[in-house]
Amino acid sequence: MPPFKDEHVLIIAPGSQITLAQLGLPESFTPARLRIPTRMFPAEHKGEWEPMKVREKKLSRAAPQIGLNGHVEGDITMGETNGTTINLEDHEEEILYEEDPTSEEGAVYPLRDGRVVDWSCFFALLTHVYNTLSPPFHTPILVIAQPQWKPQDHETLTQFFFEKFRTPAFCLMDSALAISYAYATPTATVVDVGYQKCEVSIVNEYVVSDLGRGTPLLNCGGEAMTQRLFELLNGKGFTKEMCEQLKKNAICEVLPPGAELPVETELGNAASAGSTGATGSGDGQRGSIAAQGGAPRGPGVNTDLGDADEGREFKDGEDDDGVLDVATIVASGKTSEFLARKEKEKAERAAARKKDAADAAAASKERALPNSKRAKAVFHYQERRPLEELNVNGKRAMGGEGGQDVGEPKRQKSPELGAESEIQTAENAAAARKEERKEERRRNREGTAFVRKTVEVGPERLQVASGGILDQIADTIHRRISSVPEVNKRSDLWDSLVIAGNGSRVKGFKEALLATLHARYLISPSSATIFSSELPSNFTTPVATGANTPQPQHHAPHHGTGVNPLLLAATTASNPNLAPPGQSQQQLHQQLQQQQYYQQQMQSHQHSSHAQTPTSIKVLKLPDYFPEWKDTGAEEAVFLGAQVAAKVVFVVDQGLSKGFMSRTEYNEMGPQGIHESCL
Amino acid sequence: MATGQASTKPPDATEYGGDEISALVLDPGYATTRAGFAGEDVPKSVLPSHYGIIPTISGGKQLFGDNSIHTPLPGISISNYMSREGTVEDWETAANLWEYAITSRLTNAKPGPLATNGLNDVENQEMEMEGIEAQEKPLRDNPLLMTETGWNAGRDRERGIEIAMENWGCPAYWLARNGVLASFASGKSSALVVDIGASTISVTPVHDGLILKKGVMRSPLAGNFVSQQLRLMFSQSQPPIPLTPHYLIVSKTPVDAGTPSQATLRSFAPNTEPDPSFRHFQEERVLTEFKESVVTVWPGPGRLSGHNQQGGTNMDIARQHPGKPFEMPDGWNQMFPALDRYRPIEALFDPKMALSDASNPAPHQSQTIGALIQSSLAQVDVDIRPALLSAVVVTGGSSLYQGLTDRLSQELQVMYPGTRVRISASGNAVERKFGSWIGGSILASLGTFHQMWISRKEYEEQGAGIVEKRCK
Repeated sequence: MPPFKDEHVLIIAPGSQITLAQLGLPESFTPARLRIPTRMFPAEHKGEWEPMKVREKKLSRAAPQIGLNGHVEGDITMGETNGTTINLEDHEEEILYEEDPTSEEGAVYPLRDGRVVDWSCFFALLTHVYNTLSPPFHTPILVIAQPQWKPQDHETLTQFFFEKFRTPAFCLMDSALAISYAYATPTATVVDVGYQKCEVSIVNEYVVSDLGRGTPLLNCGGEAMTQRLFELLNGKGFTKEMCEQLKKNAICEVLPPGAELPVETELGNAASAGSTGATGSGDGQRGSIAAQGGAPRGPGVNTDLGDADEGREFKDGEDDDGVLDVATIVASGKTSEFLARKEKEKAERAAARKKDAADAAAASKERALPNSKRAKAVFHYQERRPLEELNVNGKRAMGGEGGQDVGEPKRQKSPELGAESEIQTAENAAAARKEERKEERRRNREGTAFVRKTVEVGPERLQVASGGILDQIADTIHRRISSVPEVNKRSDLWDSLVIAGNGSRVKGFKEALLATLHARYLISPSSATIFSSELPSNFTTPVATGANTPQPQHHAPHHGTGVNPLLLAATTASNPNLAPPGQSQQQLHQQLQQQQYYQQQMQSHQHSSHAQTPTSIKVLKLPDYFPEWKDTGAEEAVFLGAQVAAKVVFVVDQGLSKGFMSRTEYNEMGPQGIHESCL
Repeated sequence: MATGQASTKPPDATEYGGDEISALVLDPGYATTRAGFAGEDVPKSVLPSHYGIIPTISGGKQLFGDNSIHTPLPGISISNYMSREGTVEDWETAANLWEYAITSRLTNAKPGPLATNGLNDVENQEMEMEGIEAQEKPLRDNPLLMTETGWNAGRDRERGIEIAMENWGCPAYWLARNGVLASFASGKSSALVVDIGASTISVTPVHDGLILKKGVMRSPLAGNFVSQQLRLMFSQSQPPIPLTPHYLIVSKTPVDAGTPSQATLRSFAPNTEPDPSFRHFQEERVLTEFKESVVTVWPGPGRLSGHNQQGGTNMDIARQHPGKPFEMPDGWNQMFPALDRYRPIEALFDPKMALSDASNPAPHQSQTIGALIQSSLAQVDVDIRPALLSAVVVTGGSSLYQGLTDRLSQELQVMYPGTRVRISASGNAVERKFGSWIGGSILASLGTFHQMWISRKEYEEQGAGIVEKRCK
């Protein structure tokens, strides 16, 4: 068998919502190139599946013309439409099949809670991924296995890959193990927060501990948070879809336990509402529209500023001068007009500034507050409208209601939005298909417009994880680590916590989880040990050189070795950097006292030697030698780990240590052989 | 799927000829229920034998598994399907919990019907219909090896095969004594197995792979007894030591040793509190942590209540040993002096040291480990006693107390001077905790064991009574 090459390796990581895939290993490992939703749509015949919603449209021949004339984006020529329908001219009614890349109607998600619930659909999805990437013949395949897949499922998949794709080599890798590969750590507690579930897995010396792995924590993923928002906001006219978008927005945050919800103040309300554009560009790389280059949104219909004039709008967003959507302005061909207006506004603004200086000062003070301190924030969401409805309402919505804005969906850079990747996929696939179909799809894409709306959200947006998710996950982590039979391993496991999965993408989630663990489970050095004689034997007698004097404790937590572990345990316990944020002055004071106390303790060279864990809890950071992962975040580290593993297993090792199953082995042993060569 | 590719000769109708690793081993215990595939080194599915019950209008909903029974749901109560004797008490729940243990991690409830897995698109609908009856049984493809205690007898022995054959559709079944399996796990066919579990401590003489039924001895001085001792120690100390389980803590702040805790406690709205049994169960978690990190067996020589050669009491010596700090979930912490570390478990060897109160009487001398071994050996043939003493296998989760095996070895040497006493206890905590499961995994994966299985056909011909005949 010829050796495998980097560019031929195919990696597929199916998840309950998003399936990641990539052909070839780049020089520096990148986030997955192909991200598609894990769903298929039933096709005409039972057991057949389509990657996109296919609508069957019965149209009388005149109908499309009317529809398209009324369309706002009326740049679709009639010739194209006729081109697709012309051969059916002799019928009264024509049946048009069109793919709708944004629709989720009737979609079947083959993975639920990490389990395969519909094999036929799942196989169709894998085939779709395979065909999209169209790998060459000599392609080894690595598939990331969900922890919940049973041995039987592994066999079924193995059989599928060998018999359907005739792959020369196949490897199944546990997702928790892949994450630990990404973090280059042999020992880790992997907390994988998914869509509907959360898995806590123990990886010990590159082996996933099967003991007591149990079932996943249901209702502890991203979906549960959306559901929680929906519960809180349902009464205020929010739909599920709005809650989903809100969750992904930067204004939605998980507050650390014990943090108080901001209280509404009259001035703060108005000011913060108006300046949310600034918030978006400031700290939101998470799909806030303003951050993506859109102009700062003005006051919405529902806000107190609804009656403000245009100048006022820019006043409120004044620190946003730099992020105006230049492209739009230039494209609109009114550059000079715009600049003139801008000058005028500046003058107006200066005047206004003088007029209500006190008000502005207070407002800016309010604006300087982080999102978590504000009672209210404005949130822009997109509502999907099918073509027909839009044609009727579109124009009026534009003209009449100031708060609405109709147009193509804004391209959002944030990777969690499935819509964009889907479009990309659609484009990838289209390249190989007929020109005609491509045109059709483009029309479809433009046909379905998004209506952008603005709405104000109160402190509910900060309660996204208030449904007890954090408690449950924290308790499970504690339980899982406590159930590790080797007592001496436990403190290592506490020190190498990895939080991954797209459910943990919600702002502040990881910090809040860590703070919960700290608040509930951290064992602090006991003062009872001061008078005991538990001196570590390697401790030197204190000499008055000053070398033993404790340094101020304001440095970042250590990750390296070389520091005395006992010292480390003592310092991290008093380290303010690890304490939950958002503490009051009083708490800070308390902390200072504690710190002094610990320093005294250290001066007398005492330390507790707990067998109890955890004496410290640390979250690992993704190694920074993968620059491509800096911007996207480490939530999908599983794919990085998969690439590392694929490189090692297929390219470096070439099967010497049985990291994968080869075709020959499959022919000899059948699907059951996978248990012997599975990572 | 490719079943039995390697074998060319079809198996006899009477014997089960499954040649694969798909046999399952189910080992129920008081603390945990272990299930997994034969041939593997650890059970993949380890569930607490405790289960939760949520009150509903139609009686109660049962919750199984680690994740669901630790959440303080309104009105949740915790029970156990095992009796304190280590045998199954509630068979109905047991069957449910076992099925959950198997289907949640090991097999699919409906083992991938070939017709719908997309690989073999069979046009013939009839074939599909034919199989449906069997497909709904979770263990259609898997022979099952179950374990039982040495004192399990009568009707209880037959229940297992009935559940396996009737409810789960197993093709073959076997029932093995866990003492025998534990001795297999340590590579011996003759041994004196000392199994220290959660609810019972048992001594089982095994000779040539069979238990000597008369010599099986047991007593309740096991893990739960130590927990009870700890509870007594906490409540009898001055001032009483608070025992607050994790679920009640919202956050804790560090406090000085011995001072009251300053934790923020969780409050429950009226009628949403969990049942007291839930709290008791959660307290056990804290006690387990205490047992793991603080409790130690007095290293000897002699007993804790005894005297040493110089005439001083061992208690005085113990007082000089270092203590160990422990922090409760609410932040309360204290240095536990060495005497407190030794005392809760000393009663396993010396009933005089046991703490007791009105509802927890002190144990009897005949219940200690030493006495159990003594009376067990007294029941077996005098010729095999030396052989058994030279192969004392210590297993069970509660045998993991620091220093327990050394102390046991000392005690036995005092009791049987002049006899070679050898204790074999694995240094690996996993092997100790799951000793009998691992033995079952070894046994069921042996090639020679295949002729032993009670096949479905035999069961159908002879009924459940066949267990009594075949599985000694």
